[in-house]
Order: sequence, then structure tokens, then C-alpha cells
Amino acid sequence: MIAVLVIVAVAAPWLTAYDPDAIIDPSYHGPLSPGGSHPLGTDTLGRDVWARLAYGARTSLFVGALATILSLAIGTTVGLAAGYFGGLVDAVLMWVVDLVLTMPSLLLLIVLATVLPPSQLTIPLVIGVIGWTTFARTARGEVLTLRERDYVQAARALGASHARIILRHLLPGVIPGVVVLAALGMSGAILVDAGLSYLGLGVPLPTPSWGRMVSDAQTYIAVAPWLVVVPGIAIAVAVVGFNLIGYGLIDLVGERR
Amino acid sequence: MVVVTAACAIPLDPPPSGPADGGGPPRQGGVLHLAVPEDPRWLDPARGYDTESWSFEQMIFNTLVTYDEGTAIVPDLAASWTTSPDGRSVTFTLRHDVHFSSGRPFTAADVKYSIERLLKPSIHSQGAEFFHGLDGASDYIAGTTADVRGIRVAAPDRLEFTLTAIDPLFLHKLTMPFAAVVDREAVERWGEDEFTLHPVGTGAFVLVDWTHGQHLRLERNAQYFRAGLPRLDAVEVTIGLSPQLAWFKYQRGEIDLAGIPSAEFQRVQADPRYRPLILSRTTLRTQYLGLNCALAPFDRLPVRQAMNLAIDKHRLLELIDGQGVVASGILPPDMPGAEPLPGYPYDPDAARAHLAEAGLASGFESTLWASRDENSMRLAQSMQQDLRRIGVSLAIKPVDFPALIEAVRHPGMVPLFLLGWEADFPDPSNFLTVLLHSRSRDTNNNTFYANPDVDRILDEADPLLDPSRRFALFHRAEVMIVHDAPWVPLFHPVGSAVRNPRVRDYILHPLRPARIEQTWVAW
Repeated sequence: MIAVLVIVAVAAPWLTAYDPDAIIDPSYHGPLSPGGSHPLGTDTLGRDVWARLAYGARTSLFVGALATILSLAIGTTVGLAAGYFGGLVDAVLMWVVDLVLTMPSLLLLIVLATVLPPSQLTIPLVIGVIGWTTFARTARGEVLTLRERDYVQAARALGASHARIILRHLLPGVIPGVVVLAALGMSGAILVDAGLSYLGLGVPLPTPSWGRMVSDAQTYIAVAPWLVVVPGIAIAVAVVGFNLIGYGLIDLVGERR
Repeated sequence: MVVVTAACAIPLDPPPSGPADGGGPPRQGGVLHLAVPEDPRWLDPARGYDTESWSFEQMIFNTLVTYDEGTAIVPDLAASWTTSPDGRSVTFTLRHDVHFSSGRPFTAADVKYSIERLLKPSIHSQGAEFFHGLDGASDYIAGTTADVRGIRVAAPDRLEFTLTAIDPLFLHKLTMPFAAVVDREAVERWGEDEFTLHPVGTGAFVLVDWTHGQHLRLERNAQYFRAGLPRLDAVEVTIGLSPQLAWFKYQRGEIDLAGIPSAEFQRVQADPRYRPLILSRTTLRTQYLGLNCALAPFDRLPVRQAMNLAIDKHRLLELIDGQGVVASGILPPDMPGAEPLPGYPYDPDAARAHLAEAGLASGFESTLWASRDENSMRLAQSMQQDLRRIGVSLAIKPVDFPALIEAVRHPGMVPLFLLGWEADFPDPSNFLTVLLHSRSRDTNNNTFYANPDVDRILDEADPLLDPSRRFALFHRAEVMIVHDAPWVPLFHPVGSAVRNPRVRDYILHPLRPARIEQTWVAW
């Protein structure tokens, strides 16, 4: 499923003859039904829905991936530091994690997305900056067990530097856990992006995004249901797909252990 | 399976059934059911300045003069009036048969009281400025006099207004609900701030119940001075219905009048069951793209003209379901004194040539501010694509409407904006002087356009009473403004609604909310 999405996103320019932003329908008398040269019809501005959907896959995957990488980077770093150093460092970092967790994330997202200037990068940054806490907790949990292992103790006894211990001996142990989270986080980020776009806070117009496609067309649900149903299915496919990958990874990691 | 259902539209539900016309002479009685998205902001005429407040204030109150079905001034509480030869004073003779709904007879002193109340600084009325031209108004506002000299009660049925200068619009100003006559006793009983909850006037209806956020009920004023009116027994208003929900309730026959959702417009218009029920009326409105003449690159004429040539207005009109006419000038075509103008054609090649002339052949970047509602966003994206064709890259900034109104007043903040203007009076000055005189730059001239020659013509035209000379001057000014191109005039929208077939004699007005004292229900 995800492979198809990635292919669509990468190959979007070859899969459709239309510019997703350009107004195709020469004279507008309502959205055109699916069929003919517009396999999924046209939208409420006379743009090709298939083109917007395909380019929208780029938006969703870009936002999801960037947000997840950011979360993963921040979260893993914090988790490693907290778990390895313990004591005051751990207390302060976990206090920050708790602080971020206590804030209602949707509200925070809306505030940040409103205050920051709209750009392609704003939304993934905002989602990433808010979503790192679970990574931090998972990484810290792993480190707490790993750092008592003999090989870590041995490395420490041999006088290895903190950086070396963390990077060579702890990080590899932490990675399987956070990668599983990353797959699940990807679907979460795509969903949050869809939600923000639906609220009109997503990527700037006219960049196609699935969430905005749903919100723009919602009053047309009786007149042109495909405008709402098609991007809705796309969001569902992406979310389910990344979740399945996540669960598959859990099984894989579990077996290896 | 999913794909199959997704591809089929759901058929349009029928309107409420029943014959749309006929039914003999107007029937007395019955209740009209309306819906509004939120509570009216005010039912105090001194304060309300939005369509919804005005529509209810018009039911409860009267003014000295009003408009007929068009924009001609006709008597309301006044029986007749005369204007002095110098044009600076107007004397009204009032009707004798008018009572407030409280039973108290109406006299000239009530008019004086109502307008002085409006001018009181503590009321903060947005309508006060319309009456600053009354002789003595400034002294009264400053608190140095106890009343306004220029409003003189000569007899209980005679009232004389004196102005500091000739004002051709004075009678028009008196038609605004701001000048409606309120019951002094009710104001004093409830206090200035509570009066909006207990409004008492001379109007066709009386407010009997207002449960905030839920409903509002008005019943016929048994003492109304026009015999046989109003025809309805009551008006029942459901508060808090979104336009979409109101539409569904209309289809079920629970609401008698509704707007047509944009999504459904094409189907409703094509449906013979709906056609006889659609009401529409051209309005005195112009939707425009404002170009900030104080900000580069829009400080240069060829750039502004390029913008005018680059935008496909027919397309924009299609996006609003053809509900209007393409604008070529500033004034709406129904405005008295408006003359057809050639305007700018849609010609992207010419637009590119103009940009090249300005040394911007490779285009530029700019930001368009627009209200974040669905329609504005569609219009904005259509213009974004039009401008892309001439190399202009436009970022769209969606903001809430009040924020937009506030932002455009700051010079140097908003390069491009999408706004509309609806006339307060059927007079060209209400567009040209109010929106484009350099003096208006700190109020409604949000393009910061300033042309001394235009200013001079407007100053000459404004005080003229003779319509033909007045209109000729305004036309000259409009031609110059269109050439200077501070606006891209887009279209003049048409107002529309649908009625339940039982609703008769509900007539949309070009300038004001519809009046319903003549309206009746056939069953």
C-alpha cells in the first residue's frame, strides 16, 4: 500500500497530464463528474482531482516524513541523554517531556501554525517539535536496561568517552524500538497534517493537500461526493498502511529478540 | 462498491410543496419562520450597523422617510417635507396617527430625542458621523449645549432640521435605521444599554421574546399606523442555524426563507420545482481587488493596469455561480448616475507588456489578503492562477474578516486585498468619495489612492444638489480613477434567496434588508 503511495508521490508528474494547481475546466459550471480525461473529475475550482490527489501524496509524505525524522532525532537524543546520565539530567529532561505531554497538543499545534508564517516547512516542523516525547520515553527506557549490561559496563571500565558509549553501544540498541515508533508516528503525522489542513492551517494555497481537499469540498458532499470521498480514502490508506508497517516491525523486532 | 457510490451525486431534495402563486387576495394572519446563524448584534437602532440587526430593527422601528421598492425616497413617519431654497434646512410635517407600541402617541420631540441620543458620545454609535452636519451637533457632542440647535420642534407635528452646509444626501441619511425613532420612556425605563433587549418603537412588529442563542419572536403591533398591516401575526426566528442547516430545514418546510448554498446553486437553478421560488435582486455592491498604491510595485501605474488586464473576471463570476455581473468600473450599474465604462479587457499578453514597461518583465512576488471563507478562498486561488500566467507569484494570506478590515487600514501592511463594498446610500459619492478620496485614507480608502485632480472633482460634486451636474462630475472622476487603476473591480454580486411556496410578497431590496410588513403566507 505504502509502496503504491510512494510511487504515486514520486511519479506524480508522469501519472497525470495536468498541473494540480491549474484551472483546467475552461468554463466553470460546478465540478465535473469522474470520467473521460478527468478520471476523478474536477474540483470546486475546475482543477483535476487526480492530479491534486497525486501531488497531494507528495505533500502528505513530505510532511509525515519530515515531522517524523524531526521527532525521532529530538526524542532519541533526549532519551539517550536522560537514560545514560540519569540523576539531575534525567529529572530535568523528563520534566520537560511531562510538560510537553501535559499541553493539549491540538491546541498547541493550532497556536503554532497560526503564529508562524505559512510555508511548506512550517507544518512538519510544528508537528515534529510537538511529537518527540514518545520517542524520548521509549529511548530512555531502552537505555536504562542497556546501560547496566556487561558490555556497556566493560566499555566504561575501559575508559571510553560518554559520546563513544552512547553512539557505539547504546544507540544501536535503541534504534529498533524507535523505528517501530517512527512508522506509527508517520501515520500520526499524516493524520495531524490532514486535520490541520482541514482547519485551514496546513500548507499554503494552492499546494494540494488531502486534508484541505476534504474541507474545501465538504459542502459539496451531496452534489459531488467524490471530492470528499477520494481524498478521505487516500488519508485512510496512508494511515492504515503506515500502521501495518509499524506492527509488522514490532513482530520483526520481537522475533529477533 | 465505495467507488460506485462515490461517483453518484445524491439527488436534490424537492422544495416544500404547494402552489407558488395565486391563492386570492393577501391573507391576514399566520407565522413566518426564519433562521439566522447568530443573535442579532443589536436591536437598538442607534447601535446596529449590520444587515441582520437592520432587518429586525426595520420590523420594530420606523424612520421619517424610507425607500420604496427601489431607491426613491418616500414618506414613512413623515407626511410631507419641504426643503428651503438654500438647501440648508428641511421641514417635516409628521403623521398624526402614529403611536408607539406602548400606546404613547408619537410626536416631533421623539424624533429630536432619538437623533440626539444617537449623537451622544456615550452611545459610541457608528451612525453618529452621518449627522455631524446638523447645526449645533459639534457643540452638543462637545457637551457645551444641552440639545442640538439644528433639530427644532416647531409644533408636535412639525420638525425643522438645519444643516451647517448643503448636504444632498441628508434625506438618504434619514432613511438609515440609525435615525429610527425610539420610545424615550422605554429607553429611560430600561437604560441605554438594556434598551436593545426591550426595544420599543412605532413599527409593524413588537419584540415579545428573545432567548439568546435560541430564538426570537416578534408579534404584530395591533396599533400599527398603516391600516391592515402587517399581514403576519408573528415572526418566529430560530437562532444559531448554519446556512447549510437552514437549507435542510427549508427543504423540510420548517423555515420559510433561506439562502441557497453555493454547492447546490447550479442544481437548484436548473430545477423547475425550485425555479418559481428563487428570489433575486441586483444590489449596490462591488467586489474588488484592492492594490495598495503606497507599496511597491503597485505605486506604479503600468503595474496596476497590468493587474486589471490579467484577471479573468468572467471566471470569477462563474465561480460564484454567475450570481452577478462583471464589473468594469467602480459604481454598480444600478447606482443612480452610473454610466457604462469600457474598463479593462481580459488580456494577459497586454498585461505582460505593461509589466515589461514597468521593468518587471520577469514578474514579482506579492501577497493577497483575503477573508478565509470558502468563496473568498476560491476567488483568491483563481486570481492566483491568472497572475501566475503573467509571472506574478501570489501568496494567499487567509485571515478572519474583522482582522482583514483592521489590517487594510495600516499603510504598508497589505499589498493586495479582496474586499467588497455595499452602498449605504444610492449615490456615487458613497463609493467614490468614501473609498477613493485622498481624505478617506485613514478610514475606507484602503488602497491609499490619492489623485489631487480626482479629489478636486469630488469636492466640487459632493455638495451639488442638481443631479445631472452632480452625476456628470462623478462620472468624470470615475473615468479617471479607472484609468489610475487602484482597484481591479471584479463583479457586482446579486442577492438571492428561496422562499417556501406559501410565502408571498416578500421582496428583496437593492440596498436594505427586505421589509416584511406586506409579506403574507397563503396557508
